[in-house]
Amino acid sequence: MSEGKIVSIHSFRGGTGKSNVTANLAAQVAMTGKRVGVVDTDIQSPGIHVLFGLDDAKMGKTMNDFLHGKATIREIGFSIGENTGGGEGRSKLAGKNLFLFPSSIRGREISQILREGIDFNLLNEGMQTTISEFDLDYLFIDTHPGLNEETLLSIATSDVLIIILRPDNQDLQGTSVTVDVARSLDVPNLFLLVNKALPKYDFAEIKTTIEAQFQAPVTSVLPLSFDLAENASIDLFSLRYPDHEWSKALRNVVDFVLNAK
Amino acid sequence: MSGDLLQKIRETDFFKELSNEALAAVASRASLRKFAPDEALMRKGDAALSFYVILNGHLKIVTTDAKGDEIIINKVGPGETIGELALVDERPRSAGVVALEPVEALELTKEAFFELLDQRLDVSLGILRGFSSRLRFSTTYIEKVIDWSQKTAEGDYSFLEYTQPLLNRAGTDDDKAAQLLSTFYSMVRKVKAREEGLKQQLERLTFEIDQERRKREFEEITGTEFYAKLKEQAQTIRRKRTPDP
Repeated sequence: MSEGKIVSIHSFRGGTGKSNVTANLAAQVAMTGKRVGVVDTDIQSPGIHVLFGLDDAKMGKTMNDFLHGKATIREIGFSIGENTGGGEGRSKLAGKNLFLFPSSIRGREISQILREGIDFNLLNEGMQTTISEFDLDYLFIDTHPGLNEETLLSIATSDVLIIILRPDNQDLQGTSVTVDVARSLDVPNLFLLVNKALPKYDFAEIKTTIEAQFQAPVTSVLPLSFDLAENASIDLFSLRYPDHEWSKALRNVVDFVLNAK
Repeated sequence: MSGDLLQKIRETDFFKELSNEALAAVASRASLRKFAPDEALMRKGDAALSFYVILNGHLKIVTTDAKGDEIIINKVGPGETIGELALVDERPRSAGVVALEPVEALELTKEAFFELLDQRLDVSLGILRGFSSRLRFSTTYIEKVIDWSQKTAEGDYSFLEYTQPLLNRAGTDDDKAAQLLSTFYSMVRKVKAREEGLKQQLERLTFEIDQERRKREFEEITGTEFYAKLKEQAQTIRRKRTPDP
């Protein structure tokens, strides 16, 4: 029995910066010496591989192959610590235990999986196998926005659920439903993370208001950052610019993950 | 001593209470001094031997920091007096004074000053009145500022409206109390504006959740067969992963 924890990162709507937060958070946890995996279960619109410097040419077997019984988990795991793929920030991960389990970005394979549906038992098994085969302390799951079935599955199996939201009414409305669902599924650690807050707002006020609304801790309020937007897809921002406000705020979340029971 | 010069002496706060005759007595004991740019009128720590009434030009009041670098505390100009307090309390100069440009000043030595005090009751009283009025003026405004500070701390800015006209009559620009007030008002106005701005922003950040919709969407998701099965499985999966005791 592995003691590795599943950390699902979710947002009700797209555009919250979920993949970016997931990649940076996983990298920050790996920097503390933990063994970390990142699964892209956003099979409809995968994207997190780009942040880890992986492109179509470099990508080997994917989660799609696993779900079609064409590959084992062992074959899919891509070691970032051994292939940082350039990037000033990413190069700091050299020698760290961080593994990416990408989804296929090939249109045909995406549509195939959407047509045939996902074998949930297999996906669930895959996650458990990932933790045990790679001896992971934490497996981060980058989910598809909304509450479709594969997302519900990852929420149902997670030990830690981090819901990312922007400080606006639409995101709050959607988050309220996700919070209720997560409670109904008995997720042991339910955390909120506010991203893309306009710097002119009072972050402390945002935190207390949202915490009061949902009775769940807001791990951090991350500012909307043009620096991040410019850099995001090229490198891991929080490693490249560790002193930036966004990076500092992101590192607040690390302790919540490490201390989750 | 020209009438022009007498007028300039009268325009100083310090001598404004003196009669023409008393002013002439002061002027007769004073000497006109000229200072070149960068020339020091006094240095920090010097014994206080005289005081000056500035007639033309500006000077800087300077001290030094721990590293010995010069720090400018203030600037002074025509109509202002320098060093009169040290003559009375006989303490060494607390700061240095250096001309920023060609300066003309009237110097009254300590001897001349005390001689005036000794021989001319009218001059003494005039000078005392000058001291008193400055002190009273300062005290009054310090009391006001204390009162308004307390109001500001409590978020009550109403005094801005009813005291603003008073300020405009309060004195000239080179009046230190008026400067304090003007700075204080500007501070309070900025605090008030910032607070209002913040209130507006926070109003925009007042979140509203439609609870009906929340409940409806929750029921749509959890009402399916898939969900029921998932909830059951979730418990099994987590139980399986929990390390055996």
